[in-house]
Amino acid sequence: MRETSGKIISMDEQTLIHDAQAGNLDAFNTLILHYQDSVYNTALRILGDDDLAADATQEAFISAFKSISTFRGGSFKAWLMRTVTNACYDELRRQKRRPTTPLEPDTDDGDEMDSPRWLADPNMTPDQKAEADELEHALQHCLNDLPVDFKSVVVMADIQGMDYTEVAVAVRVPLGTIKSRLARARLRLRECLQGFEELLPASFRLEEGSSV
Amino acid sequence: MNQRDLELLSSYLDGQLKPSDSARLESRLSTDPDLRSVLNDLRSARGLLRQLPLRKAPRNFTLTPKMVGKNPPLPRAYPAFRFVTALATLLFFFTVGLNIFGTQLAAESPNFGYGGGGAPEISAAEAPAATEAPAATEAPALAPPAAQSAPLPTTTLSAEDAARNAAETQVEKFGVTEAPGLQSQAPAQDAQPVPAEASRPVFVPAIWQVALVGVALLSALVMLFMRQVSINRWRRK
Repeated sequence: MRETSGKIISMDEQTLIHDAQAGNLDAFNTLILHYQDSVYNTALRILGDDDLAADATQEAFISAFKSISTFRGGSFKAWLMRTVTNACYDELRRQKRRPTTPLEPDTDDGDEMDSPRWLADPNMTPDQKAEADELEHALQHCLNDLPVDFKSVVVMADIQGMDYTEVAVAVRVPLGTIKSRLARARLRLRECLQGFEELLPASFRLEEGSSV
Repeated sequence: MNQRDLELLSSYLDGQLKPSDSARLESRLSTDPDLRSVLNDLRSARGLLRQLPLRKAPRNFTLTPKMVGKNPPLPRAYPAFRFVTALATLLFFFTVGLNIFGTQLAAESPNFGYGGGGAPEISAAEAPAATEAPAATEAPALAPPAAQSAPLPTTTLSAEDAARNAAETQVEKFGVTEAPGLQSQAPAQDAQPVPAEASRPVFVPAIWQVALVGVALLSALVMLFMRQVSINRWRRK
C-alpha cells in the first residue's frame, strides 16, 4: 500500500479539526487545502468526469463542514472519503435519473476530444503523453465498468493508498467485505484491461497462458 | 479460482495475511501455476492503478460563509442592543397596560388603592359623600357648580382646622396623645371633594412611555445599522 499523507494525524491537524468543530471556517479551509487533491481524485475516479468530480468534491466539503461535529477521532482522511463517496453516490443516483454525460469532454463543435483536458500532462513528450492518455483512458474506462461499491473500495485502496481499516471506515462495511470487494475489483479490472493489452507497459502485460 | 483463494491472494499482495497464512499460501504458490498467474494478474491491476497520476484539484474548494449558510458575524455589542430593545418594548407595553387596566380597575372598585396611593380614587368615588360634611355642604351653596373646585381649599381647610382644633382640645382636655391619628384622617377628608376628571389616575407618566419608545426605536435602529454594516463587510469577502 502506498504511504498516505492523511494517515498521520498531526497535532496541527487535531487543532484544526477542533477549531473547525467550534465553527471556525478558516481552520476547516486549511484542512480543505490539505486534502482537496485526494478528495477530488477519489471523486474523479469514481465518477469519471472532471466537472462532476469537482461538484461532488465541493458538495463533500460543504457536507463535511456541516457535520464535522460528528467526527469522533480516528483517520480524518477516511472520514472525508466517506463524505466524498456519499457525494459521488448521490451524483450517480442523479445521473440515473437523467441522460448520461460522455466521459470525454466535447469540443466546441460538439465532437469528442481525442485527448481530454483531464488527461493532459505538459511535462511529457507528445508520444508519452499520447500513451499515458490512452492508458489512463483505458483504466478509467475499466473503473467505470465496475459496480460503484467495488469502485469506491479499489479507488481508496489502490489509488489513494488507504489501508483496509481506513477503507472500511470510509465505506462503513466490515473488513472482510473490503477484502472481498478489493480482490474481485482487481480481478475484474485485470480482465477488462486485457482488451487494452497493446496499451499496457510490458511489465503489466498478461503472461502467456495465464488463466483466471 | 474460488473466492476464498482470490481474497487470500489479494490480501497477501497487500501484506495483510497472518505470517502462518502467508507461509501456507507461499507454499501453494510454489506448486500451483494457476494461483501464481492470478497473483500476477492482481499485482498487475494494482500496479496499473497505482500508476494513475494524482490529478491536481482544478481549483480551490475552500468554503465561504455563504456556502455553509453561516450568518455574518455580528459585533459583540449587538446582543446588548437586542436586549435593550426587547426590554424597552416590553416595558412600554406594560406601562400602557397598567395605565389602561389600572384606571378601569380603580373605576370599578372604589376600595381599590386604599392600601397605598389610592387616595385620589377614593376622593373621586366618594365625592358625593363629601356633601355630608357640614363645611362641604356650605361650599356648593356659596359657589356655582362650575367653580366648585375653587372653594374646596376653603372647605378642606375649615374641615382640617376643625379637626385639628378638636384634637388639640381633646389633647388639652384629656391629655391623650391621639392627635396623629386624628391628623392622619384629615388629609383623607381633604382629598375627598376633588372632581373626578381632575383625579383620573395615571400610573406611569406619558413622558416615561415616550422615553421607552424612543429607547426601543433608537436601539433597533442601531441594531439595523450594525447588521447592515456586517452584511456589507461579509459580502465583500
